[in-house]
Order: sequence, then structure tokens, then C-alpha cells
Amino acid sequence: MRSVYQYRDLIWNLVMRDLKVRYRRSAIGFLWSMLQPLLTMVVLAIVFSSIFRFDILNYPVYALAGLLFWNFFQQSIVVSMNSLRTHAYILQKLPVPMAVFPIATVLSGLVHLLLAMVPMAAILIYTDHRIGTSLFFLPVSIFVVALFTLGMGLLLAPLAVFFNDVVELVTVILTLLFYMTPIIYPKDIVPDRFQAFVHYNPTRSILEIFRDPIYFAKIPPLTHLSLSLSVALIAFVIGAFAFRRSVDRIPFYL
Amino acid sequence: MNDAVIQLEDLALRYRLARNRVTSLKEFMIHMLSGSLEYSELWALDGIDLEVQRSEALGIIGRNGAGKSTLLKVISGVLKPTRGKRVVRGRISPILELGTGFDYELTGHENIFLNGLLRGHTRKSIEAKVDGIIEFSGLEEFIHSPVRNYSTGMMARLGFAVATAWVPEVLVLDEVLSVGDARFLKRCHERLDSFRAAGTTALIVSHSPLEILNHCSRVIWVEGGKIVADGEPRDVVGQYALFAGDTATAALVASDLTADSGIAGSPAQPTSAGKAPKATDSPTPDPPTQRQTTDA
Repeated sequence: MRSVYQYRDLIWNLVMRDLKVRYRRSAIGFLWSMLQPLLTMVVLAIVFSSIFRFDILNYPVYALAGLLFWNFFQQSIVVSMNSLRTHAYILQKLPVPMAVFPIATVLSGLVHLLLAMVPMAAILIYTDHRIGTSLFFLPVSIFVVALFTLGMGLLLAPLAVFFNDVVELVTVILTLLFYMTPIIYPKDIVPDRFQAFVHYNPTRSILEIFRDPIYFAKIPPLTHLSLSLSVALIAFVIGAFAFRRSVDRIPFYL
Repeated sequence: MNDAVIQLEDLALRYRLARNRVTSLKEFMIHMLSGSLEYSELWALDGIDLEVQRSEALGIIGRNGAGKSTLLKVISGVLKPTRGKRVVRGRISPILELGTGFDYELTGHENIFLNGLLRGHTRKSIEAKVDGIIEFSGLEEFIHSPVRNYSTGMMARLGFAVATAWVPEVLVLDEVLSVGDARFLKRCHERLDSFRAAGTTALIVSHSPLEILNHCSRVIWVEGGKIVADGEPRDVVGQYALFAGDTATAALVASDLTADSGIAGSPAQPTSAGKAPKATDSPTPDPPTQRQTTDA
């Protein structure tokens, strides 16, 4: 971990490069970061407020807040998994601490998340949603979300190097997880026999830490906060430990 | 108290060969369940003992696949040895390839920063060096163009300039001094000489006997993952040339020896003049059999 800190300038450089490369070839550049979740939200809003009809107040805000979390979580994990393979040509020639790549991935995902908060704010104002001081709690939420995501990324990145079908497998599991988490539907529409799956899904707890301050304009109760912080910490510790254990073997499989 | 800059004890490194390697989780599960996880193994390094002192320049010679590059990777910290001890005292600067990590979409200037950061330098430290790097590379005109427009030689020059902008305790060069034009090569050699004067220890892998003879104070010959000869550059280079059937080099080394020591040695027996190398009596070990260490 100390050596990762020594390479902090490299991490920042990788984040900036990712942003530059991602937007260099796109006509609307940074706007894309904000537009993409917004468009998904519009589609969902049309489908679920006029066709399927969830009984939920101001569905666009509910869905957008959930999607911002999910996009960050899902993209960070998928890119983290590929990050070691993508940089194989470096890892075979220079002794760079490998954790810098998943870390840079999660940080650059965070930059996108922060950019996407701009349209989120616009929707809050446009739909006349209740805005509370709870928004000041969001940095804590984002920290918990990022810690959880980084833990998962660190756990899965070496696995994706050792076995080349892990990426496909995880992609399928993520799709399943997406529907097991109340992101585009309200929690209480889930039939009783499936409630446990949703309730004991750690991703739900992490999601609500992020969404509650936005949608319900309330700061999560201390019990919920400490629970999700523990979940995030456990994910991070497991991820960091697994990563450390695998690091020596990674160059042989790249 | 041992003050060697590099210390390797019984160092060994095993590769698992791709032929039998399980590359998917599905296969892994199947093999686990049927209990048939088999690996074909290759000991790329097998019991290396080596000590290199401060400001020594160690040449490493041997055939392709003998383990030279793997040895440099282990010393550089890119690969962890399967067995044995590796100690490197001080900052090590590996140049296993020129321009490692260059991003072709970025400009030369941006790549100087990226490459310097990958080598563990801070942004501040690179800022202090950047003008010197550009000057040394001689690429002032092109430094703000994307690297994808560079020629191979230009990229090599920029790569060498970044990698050697800081004076390291240990410099590792894997076959990198063969690119670039004569003028640039001369500057590279001057820089290496100045490093050695400053106390840098150098490890040089090269297939050019002249380069080894010009730069090295000591040479090891690696074959089948083992050090088969270790000693004076001319002795070891001569032995290896005989082994490899490089009669021109063998003759050259032998004639040099004769001239220096005043002993009339026949070209066919270069080791009879000068000091005998430490590790071997026979100039022709039988390497191919040693490399095929296969385990089920």
C-alpha cells in the first residue's frame, strides 16, 4: 500500500489519460457523461410510468439516482477486470505496483459519477423534487460506494487474468444482480418469497446509502450507515487481501 | 557484512507452459473435479548464485532462451522468483525494452511524463528533468506530435532519454543499445560511462561481443537457466564464441589476449591464456537437456 502511495502521480495521470482518450473521438465530449444516464432515465420513465406503472412518486429521480450508482459500480468492475490485461505490456517490463490500475479505474469512474451529478441536480430542480440538506451527506455515500466497488474490482481483476472466462461470467452475474437490486423498481413490489434476496443483497444496502439522501431527502439512519460501511470495508479488505496474494503470479498469466 | 549491490542466492524461476495450461474457469473446474490438473514446467532459471558489486558492469551472454531476459526480469522485480533470495540495494532502473508503456495517441511530451511516472518518479521530479530529456533525445521539433508518427529510432531515442534521465544505483539493459544512429549511440555510450563513473552498477544483456567487451568489467554466460561461466570478459566471450561457432569473435578475442599478455595462445584455446574462468572447465556444456525439466 505504501508503494501505491508513491505512485499517486501515476494514478492521477492514468485517470486524466482515460478521460482524454474517452472523449477525444467523441463529438460532444464530456457532455456524453451526463447525457448517457439521462437518456436511459427518459427511456425508463416512459416505460415504467406509462406502461407498467410503478406506484412511486417522481419516478425519474428514483431511477436516475439508482442508475448513476449502478453505472459507476458496473463499469468500474468490468474495466477493473480488464485493466491488468490491458496493461500487460507494461507489467511485463516495469515493476509497477499492479493495484494502481484498478484504483485508477475506480477513480476515473468517480469523475464520471461527479459529472453526472450535474444533470441529476437539473432533474431535481426541474421536477420540483424535495431538496434537503441531506445532499451534504453525499460525499460519505460516495466514499462507501467507491470503497465497495474498489474491493470488488481488486478481487476480480486477478481472477480475470488467471481465467479468461471470468469476464463473461461476471457480466452475467452483474445482469442478475441488476434485477435483484431495486434500481428501476420500488423495493415493495417484490413478492414476499423473493424479499429475502433483495433484502440481504449487500448491493441494495450500498445503493440506498447513495439514493436515500437524493430521493428521500433524508440522511440514512446510523444503523444503516454502519451496516453498509461494514459491508464496504469487508469487500475492500477481502479484495485487497486477494489481490496481494495473487500479485506475484499475475505476470506469468498475462 | 555483505555490501554487494545485487545478491542472488539459489535463485530459480519456473514457468508453467502454455501447452497444458488451464485458461478458463470452466476447464479449471472440470480438471479439479476429475483430478487431472497437470502442468508442464520449465525452469527458466535454475540455481543462480550471483553477487555484483558497486560500479561493476556485468555482461550477460548466452543463446536465445537461455534465461538471460528472465534473469533481468527477476532482478528488476518484474517477476518474483519461485525459489531463492533476491536482494537489490538501491534504486533500480530497468530498460528491458525502449519506450515501454508509450501511449501512441499521446505526444512525445506527454509520454515523457507517463513513462517517468511508470518508472516511479514524481511529477515534480519529471518536470525538473523534462528539458534535459528532450534535449538528449534530439526530438525538439517533434515533441508535441503524437508518438504514433515517430519512427522506431525516434521512439527508441525518447525511451532511452527518459529511462536514463536519473542516475540509478543499478541500471539494467536488455538488448537495447542496438537501435538508433551512430551519433545517438555514441551519446548513449557516453551516458553509460558517466553513470559508471558515478558508481552505477550495470547489467547488460547483448548479442554483440564488441559491446560486451567495450562496456563490461565482468561477464557471465547463462545456459539452460544456469551460470556456466563467470569471469574476465575476454575469457568468457571467447569461450562462448567457440561454443556458438562464432570463429570470427573467437579469433578476435584470442588475438587480443595474445597481444595483451604476451603469451602466444592458439586461437582454438582462448582460456589457456589469462585467468581461467571460475565456473566451468568444459567450454561445451550440454544445455538442451538441462532446459527440459518437465513435471507432471
